[in-house]
Amino acid sequence: MTVRVSLLLRLALGAALAAFAGAGAGAQTPGQDEMNVVDQPGYQPTPEEEQLTGAYEKQEVFFRTTEAPGTIIIDTKGRFLYLVQGNNRALRYGIGVGRDGFTWSGLQKIARKQEWPDWRPPPEMIERQPYLPRFMAGGPGNPLGARAMYLGGTVYRIHGTNQPDTIGHAVSSGCFRLVNDDVIDLYDRVPVGTKVIIRQAVAL
Amino acid sequence: MIARRGGALALICLISGFVAGCGENPSPTPAIVAPAISPDQLVGKWGFAAYHKDEDRARTIKEAAAQCNRPYVIAKGATGGVMMNLADQKELSELFLKAGPNGQTYLGPAGAAGPDDRIVSNVDANSFTTIWVDPDNASRYGTSVYVRCGKR
Repeated sequence: MTVRVSLLLRLALGAALAAFAGAGAGAQTPGQDEMNVVDQPGYQPTPEEEQLTGAYEKQEVFFRTTEAPGTIIIDTKGRFLYLVQGNNRALRYGIGVGRDGFTWSGLQKIARKQEWPDWRPPPEMIERQPYLPRFMAGGPGNPLGARAMYLGGTVYRIHGTNQPDTIGHAVSSGCFRLVNDDVIDLYDRVPVGTKVIIRQAVAL
Repeated sequence: MIARRGGALALICLISGFVAGCGENPSPTPAIVAPAISPDQLVGKWGFAAYHKDEDRARTIKEAAAQCNRPYVIAKGATGGVMMNLADQKELSELFLKAGPNGQTYLGPAGAAGPDDRIVSNVDANSFTTIWVDPDNASRYGTSVYVRCGKR
């Protein structure tokens, strides 16, 4: 596997940021919504492709926590996002997470919400795919999908995707992605100010 | 200008239809006329943005103008074309302006108008618009707008 110099630089920068962050968000990189080489900007999945099955399908599950109902807890290792319901229950959504070197943990709040967010490919992606527009207006086919919820003052988001097959995988630069139906469902359930806890793993 | 050309071609087609039947058998074969714009009009550094819905066009043009910190650079080709990327191709290709069907201006590889081309429109000194001929590419990438970095 070829290790890109830019990735090394990002990791070095991320390590420096993590050392100085001290605010709980131990981000390893100031990543944006970069995706890997199989990204398909403009691709519009079929309804069948967007229908998740098995563990990653949205479902109510047993979930023991002291966090208040309405809190979002992200389990990076398990590739799940939990929305606490109370009474030891939570809604669980399958997600895609940051790839190796781009995972992080911390405590944030939803600072802003956006329907059909615009997308600006990060410089590394433009370098790999120079034919991409530097800005793509929000809409079907946009890699950020139908909704975005911005996490505090970071560059990270919980957002939709036009690549449902990436759910359950480590593919992003630190953002968390859901299929569009799920991100719309979550978006409608949580207000700005919602507490978001990002963990490497969650003990049920 | 392109619209006027289209109208003129339609009139020519209507008249010639009595002779050659062009109304009965519409063909994608490009008309043998010079393209409406020259390669020099495309050469330069451009802010590059895209949209899918017409209501996003105005703000996408503004966003394109804001992307000059990472411009899309179009250089002259060795044989009279311009150097640009084809869809999903990292390497540059020399592309040529050509007269497409219905009076449209196409931009693509040497030869007749084809699916690897894009349709060029709304050309002025400081901007132009393209959309891929191939329906899949057009669906994926939408309508692209290029706004010149540093006005002429």
